[in-house]
Amino acid sequence: SPTGDSWGIFTFLCAALCNLPALPALNCSEELGAGQSIQQTYDLTRYLEHQLRTLAGTYLNYLGPPFNEPDFNPPRLARAERVPSATVDLDLWRGLTDNARLAANYRAYSRLLCYLRVLDGQVGTAELRHRLAHFCASLQGLVLSIGGVMSSLGYPLPAGPAGPPAPPGVPTAPNDFLKKMDDFWLLKELQTWLWRSAKDFNRLKKKVPPAVVTLRLEARGF
Amino acid sequence: DSHVQYERVGADVTMKCGSMDWDAAVTWTANGTDIDESHLNGSYLILKNVGLSQSGQYSCYEGSSWHLKYQTYLRVGTPPKEPVLMCRSNNYPKGFYCSWHLPTPTYIPNSFNISVIHGTKDMVCERDAVPKNRCHIRYLQLFSTVKYKVTLTVTNALGKNFTTLTFDEFAIVKPDPPESVVAKPVPNNPRRLEVSWQNPSSWPDPESFPLKFFLRYRPLILDQWQHVELSDGTSHTITDAYAGKEYIIQVAAKDNDIGTWSDWSVAVHATPWTEEPKHLTTEAQITETTSASTSSFMAPPTTKICDKGAVVGSGAVAVCWTAGLVVAAYSVLFI
Repeated sequence: SPTGDSWGIFTFLCAALCNLPALPALNCSEELGAGQSIQQTYDLTRYLEHQLRTLAGTYLNYLGPPFNEPDFNPPRLARAERVPSATVDLDLWRGLTDNARLAANYRAYSRLLCYLRVLDGQVGTAELRHRLAHFCASLQGLVLSIGGVMSSLGYPLPAGPAGPPAPPGVPTAPNDFLKKMDDFWLLKELQTWLWRSAKDFNRLKKKVPPAVVTLRLEARGF
Repeated sequence: DSHVQYERVGADVTMKCGSMDWDAAVTWTANGTDIDESHLNGSYLILKNVGLSQSGQYSCYEGSSWHLKYQTYLRVGTPPKEPVLMCRSNNYPKGFYCSWHLPTPTYIPNSFNISVIHGTKDMVCERDAVPKNRCHIRYLQLFSTVKYKVTLTVTNALGKNFTTLTFDEFAIVKPDPPESVVAKPVPNNPRRLEVSWQNPSSWPDPESFPLKFFLRYRPLILDQWQHVELSDGTSHTITDAYAGKEYIIQVAAKDNDIGTWSDWSVAVHATPWTEEPKHLTTEAQITETTSASTSSFMAPPTTKICDKGAVVGSGAVAVCWTAGLVVAAYSVLFI
């Protein structure tokens, strides 16, 4: 069936593209140096949040109304649950261990990066492709940065973002409007994650001062 | 029987004397004062184009027996205009509050109903006892992608109106201004002022949700502010104050990453440290001080000559010292 084929292609694309972030993190040990401090990761999230504002504005205009209307407030469809959500219970968020906190960020951005890359392959205008490509590169940098912090603190990197980003059986958007809805929610989740990460890394900053991170790296002979 | 009657400003009001016939002989009073017969149509009281001043108690008495047949309290007012609603989170991440008011009074009692919808969920905004036009809500979840929709409906006897606000969790974050702002001079430093303040007490978790600050200061005599943005710490030393000038200083706060700046704090005044008292006007006083201060080359008496655009550096001191010498020379002549 046509939906089955496109689903297959989608899964393959994602699996292929999603395995990319994991490799450099393992090979490029120079990048896991002292530079990968929590402060730098925090700064990266702020930079990305700023970049996203421009990108989202351009992209939503490309999607056209109602997606680019400021008070567009659609209900969340079940299909949107594929995109990892930053929303969390307050006490749960407070109680996260450093490892869990970092891992949640790592997993989320790896998945989001994957989705964005698929988007990149589909958009029409050259300007949008250029912006998306630039953003994806920066987002990859963030994933690497988080991975670096985790490694330097002795935490194992979460199992790669490989595998289908959605449970099998959930089809790709059957029509143009729902596809645009998917894009809308992707950008929204990305934005919310970047706001959340700033808070996550603030908390980590207080609990794990950069000095500690550097010391551990020296002990490992980096 | 007695009841309350609400009517719009400018309306024509007809009051019937209870169950009395139209042609019965009655007397109407307004707040105890007899009403002239010209306002009557039979036993009905006609009030044309009622105004606010016509609010009051109206009573109808049977002509001869002076029995009270009907009584009503007339309240003249207006239906509510669209209310003004504001929502704000000054205690992030605990929750937010909404407060409201009517742009113009209605002169009659109003009731307010507020509803908060988060996605598909209805949330309860708990009304505050004081102030009355305010309610607060606790966040159940943090970092939500779904907007909050707050609808305020105001109803009174003459009509109703409503307004809606839709916003993201992050958009309404605005702390209260910093508290306990203190500015002090620094001993032996004529161009410094030490400013310190505290996080607003309503901000529940400055550890995980740090605030950054914006300081502004100017001498009272100038209109232009100087600004400093501080990403952490609750103190700052101003090092470029004009010597001897009284300063006005204010601080504002903002969450490090989201939301908007708070209002400015209460203003504090401070003057940098000066060596001598400023009231040197008589020659005798000038003579005393110049002869006494030959031992030090430091801060000269702050006379008008030295104050003109006091700039840092030995140049200014030299000018002042020279001025002091000239004055000393002059005063010697006059002894």
